[in-house]
Amino acid sequence: MNQTVRDSSPSQPAWFRNKRTARPLIVARWVPVALVGLPVAVLLAIVIYPTIWMFYHSLRDTNIQGLFMGSHEYIGFQNYATVIGSDRFQQSLIHLVQYLTFGACLQVLIGTVLALTLYEFVKSNALRTAILIILVLPMMLPPSIVGVLWRFLLTPSNGAVNQALLNIGLIKNHIEWFNAGVSLWSIIIADIWNWVALPLLIVYSGRVSLPPAVYEAARVDGAGQWKVMRRITLPMLKEVIAIAFILRFTDAFKFVDLVYIMTSGGPAQSSELPTYIAFQRGIREFAIGEAAAYAIVIFAISAVIITLFLKYMKRVMKAQGLA
Amino acid sequence: MARLEVDEICKGWDFPVIDELSFSVDEGEFFVIVGASGIGKTTLLRLISGLETPDAGRVIIGGADQTKLPPYKRRIAMTFESYALYPHLSVHENIASPLRARKVPAKERDRRVKEVARLLKIDHLLNRRPGEVSGGQKQRTALGRTLVADPEIFLLDEPISHLDAKIRHELRTQFHTLEDLRKVATVYVTHDYSEALSLGDRIGVMGAGGKLEQVGAPRDLFERPANLTVAEHLGQPTINVIGARLQSEDGTLFLRADSGELKFPVGKSNRALLERHGKEKITVGLRPQFIKPIEEAEDGAEPLTAEIDVFEPLGATGIMIANAGGVRLTALTNPEKHFEPGQTVTLAVDVDRFHFFDADSGVNLDRLN
Amino acid sequence: MIAAAAGRPKDAWRHVRLLFLAFLALWILFTVFPLYFMTITAFKTAAETNLTVPTFWPGDWQPRNFVGVFAEKTNFSALVDSFIIATANTALALFLGSLAGYAFARFPRQAGGENLAFWILSNRMFPPVAILVPMFFLFDSTPWGTDSHLSLILLYLVFNLPLATWLMMVFFRDAPVEIEEAAYLDGWTPLRAFAKVTLPLVLPGMISVAMLCWIFAWNEYLFANLFVGSAVRTYTIVIPTFTHGSQTLWNLQMAFSLIAMVPPVTLFILLRRYMVRGLSLGVVKG
Repeated sequence: MNQTVRDSSPSQPAWFRNKRTARPLIVARWVPVALVGLPVAVLLAIVIYPTIWMFYHSLRDTNIQGLFMGSHEYIGFQNYATVIGSDRFQQSLIHLVQYLTFGACLQVLIGTVLALTLYEFVKSNALRTAILIILVLPMMLPPSIVGVLWRFLLTPSNGAVNQALLNIGLIKNHIEWFNAGVSLWSIIIADIWNWVALPLLIVYSGRVSLPPAVYEAARVDGAGQWKVMRRITLPMLKEVIAIAFILRFTDAFKFVDLVYIMTSGGPAQSSELPTYIAFQRGIREFAIGEAAAYAIVIFAISAVIITLFLKYMKRVMKAQGLA
Repeated sequence: MARLEVDEICKGWDFPVIDELSFSVDEGEFFVIVGASGIGKTTLLRLISGLETPDAGRVIIGGADQTKLPPYKRRIAMTFESYALYPHLSVHENIASPLRARKVPAKERDRRVKEVARLLKIDHLLNRRPGEVSGGQKQRTALGRTLVADPEIFLLDEPISHLDAKIRHELRTQFHTLEDLRKVATVYVTHDYSEALSLGDRIGVMGAGGKLEQVGAPRDLFERPANLTVAEHLGQPTINVIGARLQSEDGTLFLRADSGELKFPVGKSNRALLERHGKEKITVGLRPQFIKPIEEAEDGAEPLTAEIDVFEPLGATGIMIANAGGVRLTALTNPEKHFEPGQTVTLAVDVDRFHFFDADSGVNLDRLN
Repeated sequence: MIAAAAGRPKDAWRHVRLLFLAFLALWILFTVFPLYFMTITAFKTAAETNLTVPTFWPGDWQPRNFVGVFAEKTNFSALVDSFIIATANTALALFLGSLAGYAFARFPRQAGGENLAFWILSNRMFPPVAILVPMFFLFDSTPWGTDSHLSLILLYLVFNLPLATWLMMVFFRDAPVEIEEAAYLDGWTPLRAFAKVTLPLVLPGMISVAMLCWIFAWNEYLFANLFVGSAVRTYTIVIPTFTHGSQTLWNLQMAFSLIAMVPPVTLFILLRRYMVRGLSLGVVKG
């Protein structure tokens, strides 16, 4: 673009047509390259190298002995065929969709509702802060505590949740929280408890920083509360909500530890997510080649989604003058 | 203390901004660069200070070529349009910064900061943070930071244009009296011609091409502008510019305005100049103060009938915009007299004060020969 | 008639308001209940935690559980290990991230442009499962092995280095470049100008980035579970192992969890204002 502007105008002075980028006086040109080079090198070593390694073995019949003996053979896309053709993988994809819908999406919805309720209807500042802190507490816990705690709470025979529900009369019999068909819901409940605070916090802060002048104008125009919410607040929070959604969505693809701690994918693989299978096949069962194929498939799906998300984020940041 | 020479300096990014621009400022001289906003004035200062590297050309300070010297090795003090104060440091620490950088002992540092602060009347604010003082006080702090540094060159970038009128005038007066500023070479950048005329020992007018259109003493620039750009930039209200044709009637030379009936005889003093130029089309400039209602004028002025469009009484003077035969003219009047729009007046035009510019290039005719 | 028309939406709004407040109250209950049960369990005797009908108030208060947890020496050393790893990893991520973030903020073109910055950020979003296996074998072949502080300190850079780089870029962009330039003209060399002017300006941001990185490293489970376990144990992998025979020692487990929660919760309460900026990758100003 700049090039064409430059070349198309013959009237520009000779020094300009021939100029090269001037040598900066303050910080030599190699310095920024070196500053960025260090982290890039680290990431190449701990992210790119393993990814290539995984891709290499996804095309080979590597198992644990083979890996140590160096005896594994190229088998083309057989591992991928195994993975994609397997019921286990297809089942896990359905689980993933279930988790994304009720985990990630629902969390953003609930977080947004809570944030706006807190901002619009709770008038005392001290109360708001107190509620905010309480609601964010679960987010500060590691997955191992969350997993262990919820496994404890949901223990079917003598768990606190069943007992509490019995006491207030919502149920008559114990719910078998870790049976097939229920266990994934248990994981989702624990995850919602754990992470709803992220969209909540982000949307709340977004709402706080909306300019009050807009609302005064709306009040002068006599717009009703509901109209203000629908026509002003929600549209202006669109980007903020989208960012919260992006963060939860990409986290969902990384999600594996609660599955591992709470159910180990069980019973009978009924709560497995693709990432968990990759983890299980690679780490517990040492089917390296197949685990690698799982990982690469997950990687490819994430890459598409992440690229789309980052494109959107770039636009949002440009609009805010941040990038 | 040193002389500053800027030698054919060039800088461009997507298009040329500074194009082979040269000037020099003597030790003790106050040089003002005036030009419209966004024309490259700040870039020029950044080139001199070393914050930007020129694409070509040299910056010579005290006889030494410092083009390749990083800014922290030059002894240049500069104020920024945004003040660029350190928000986390007190006013005292802000002013002391150049002294600390050059490892001046604490006691001496403190003495000089207080001295400068007293001079700038901010000595009662030394313990405050920049966020806690007014705009004018911020500018004084920024100024203090440059004054205390004892530099070879001062660069001032629009130092007072963001302040309100009263403080602006106060600080402008202060620039006249600050001894330190008057000892070294100072380059002062502004878009306000009155600051330029008031402060500058010499003025450079910067045009759109990234060059200085004209350099000279304030009176010189005002009375003998090198071209139309300079003439239009200096003076308020803006100079009247009339496109005209040269006509000869019965041996007398006339100027006839392109649009309308307006016709002026050419004064004796200018006749030779126009004849030498030899072109029929000409651009005529006339400052508003040389057009007056006939009763205020001295004898010998050319009378002209006009209809008043707008009249602005401004206290010390009045500005009249009138339509004379299809040409809009701005005139300065005595404020005691009042005029109504639509009223017909007779104006007197001092034809000897005309400036003549080449119709194509805008260059003043007396520069062409 | 007019009054009724004007009154109706307001009434409706009042109902909506009550509905939402009720939802908020229920949600607070849902959030607090597990935390409450966790806390009272930590004060129960082991026997009480295994009753067929769980109690919602301890019959016999056992504050000594909080001391008893540390009868097992490894439990305390697990906290120490977690602390060492989280702190060293944070320092490393923050150092490298600040350098790169500064370069991206001040010299975007020379530093490789925004696409490189976004690439660095994207590394945080990819599933770590994809790299677990190769990293395990890679570290296994090094002299210090997988079961060491160093392995986790380096591995946690996978998520903390992109975060630190990206956020520091955002914070450095917030600090006006002119202030740095003013410092050069005062005679400060670039390094000293950075230390004297730029660093103090980004310090609040830097602290919030450090806290975020620290919490993420402190709470990490997946890598730790696979990589360490005997010579080095982080507290996150110790928590699921509170058993006595086939019985889980819920009371000690919950007491230990409560202790381990203290640092991140304290950091959050102190720094919640800055944290939103970090959690939202710089997009939402807190």
